[in-house]
Amino acid sequence: MKSEPQTHWQPALMARIKSMLPIDWEIIRHMGAEPIPYHLKKWWFCLGGTILYLFIVQIATGIALTFYYVPTPQEAYASIVAITQEVRFGWYIRSLHKWSGNLMIVAVMLHMLRVFFTAAYRHPRQLNWCVGFLLLGTTMTFGFTGYSLVYEQLSFWGATVATNLAEAVPLIGPWIAFFLRGGPEVGENTLTRFFVLHIGVLPTVAFILVAIHIFLVRLHGVTELNFDGETVPEGKRHFQFWPDHATTEILIGVLLMYLLTILALVFPAGLGEPANVNETPLHIKPEWYFYFNFRLLKLTSLKLSVVLTMAIGAIAFFWPFIEEWFMRRWRVSDRLPVTLGVLAFLLFLMLTVWEAFA
Amino acid sequence: MSLVAMTAGLLLSYGLFAVQGLLFLIPRRLAPRTRRIFAGQIDQFEVGAIKSVLDLQGNEILIKRDAQELRAFNSTCPHLGCRVHWENDRKRFFCPCHNGAFDQNGVATEGPPAAAGQSLATLPLEVDSRSGVVYLEVKDSRKKLA
Repeated sequence: MKSEPQTHWQPALMARIKSMLPIDWEIIRHMGAEPIPYHLKKWWFCLGGTILYLFIVQIATGIALTFYYVPTPQEAYASIVAITQEVRFGWYIRSLHKWSGNLMIVAVMLHMLRVFFTAAYRHPRQLNWCVGFLLLGTTMTFGFTGYSLVYEQLSFWGATVATNLAEAVPLIGPWIAFFLRGGPEVGENTLTRFFVLHIGVLPTVAFILVAIHIFLVRLHGVTELNFDGETVPEGKRHFQFWPDHATTEILIGVLLMYLLTILALVFPAGLGEPANVNETPLHIKPEWYFYFNFRLLKLTSLKLSVVLTMAIGAIAFFWPFIEEWFMRRWRVSDRLPVTLGVLAFLLFLMLTVWEAFA
Repeated sequence: MSLVAMTAGLLLSYGLFAVQGLLFLIPRRLAPRTRRIFAGQIDQFEVGAIKSVLDLQGNEILIKRDAQELRAFNSTCPHLGCRVHWENDRKRFFCPCHNGAFDQNGVATEGPPAAAGQSLATLPLEVDSRSGVVYLEVKDSRKKLA
């Protein structure tokens, strides 16, 4: 039997596609072959990937939610009720969005703690610490604006208190508050503005910051860490990003999806009373990541708490430069930054737990 | 020289676009307009009690009648904007957010508002002597952006 003559359309088609997409695949292969230090085989050293994964879950579930959410004071709460009770798998998507947001904040904090306590922010990586800190701020603003969109009693009064807090920022406070509220007081414009910030402005800012963050990581490479008593087999000091590390991240992603699903099943996103502009509930509380700030507000005056928060934020943001200056001037021990870091974290934890059980 | 002029022109042009964009996002601060609304008949206000009236934005205004006069208090706490309510047993306005308390005249007596020397804002009231109608002057921000 005579075999069919071989057609040559496939190589021709490939050549045509390649001519339309003149990509140098060698460069792409080189980019994927980023050498990753051995210690990144441990999950807690590569929490950055977890954050990115959770961010992708946030985007996917967030886009899904916007198909049903109505950003007006009259309809917002009712649309959330509809998403939770009527839309197919609405409760699941909403719970995934809520829990991935919360876990993202936890992961960002843990990632920053890891970077701090391994001194990975030091020269030449100072700028990436600053970008990371901005990402923490963006993530928390995501949480605040997102929670306000629910338009239940606690979230409404949380937004009211927060915009009034913003007013206490020296010099530019009244301007920020006016801008956020879209007028002199919390009203119809406020919800629209929070919605636009949450689904448009903040994702854009986050995308840009994440791109810069990853670009800087690639420029400097990952910090090499050596541990006492750990012997790494020769020739295994590094492994490749693609496919080794990428596969690990995808596997961790599946585990995260399981975790998020369990959380969504056991603790589904709830719903309080609808917002009532004429009745402040007896016990109002922000989301857990603002507990320390809320406790600080109770312990001090309004102006002082705002100034203190700004000062702590500024010190944390510029810490790599402040530490460098201190080290050069006073030649302090390496233990001092670690001690200060432990104290600062314990203070944050203490204020958070205090407010949680108050 | 041409490079300087071009850079200046570019900065000026893009700067102008940026300023216009920014101004678009900030609502206009219009001079506050007020409107008189009907708050009730004078005999509907009991001496020593509080009557609640909603303004044009749906916010609660607390009207209190003393032996001598009627007074209208804005129920927004001057500390962080939460809503105060009247506690008849303790004869005080109370804000649940940070435990701020105000006496019958709206002067802060406890909590952060007292520490900051704040009082509840009052609104102008007018009683028509012939008909006994109580008018309240409230902010009119309907059909406006801010």
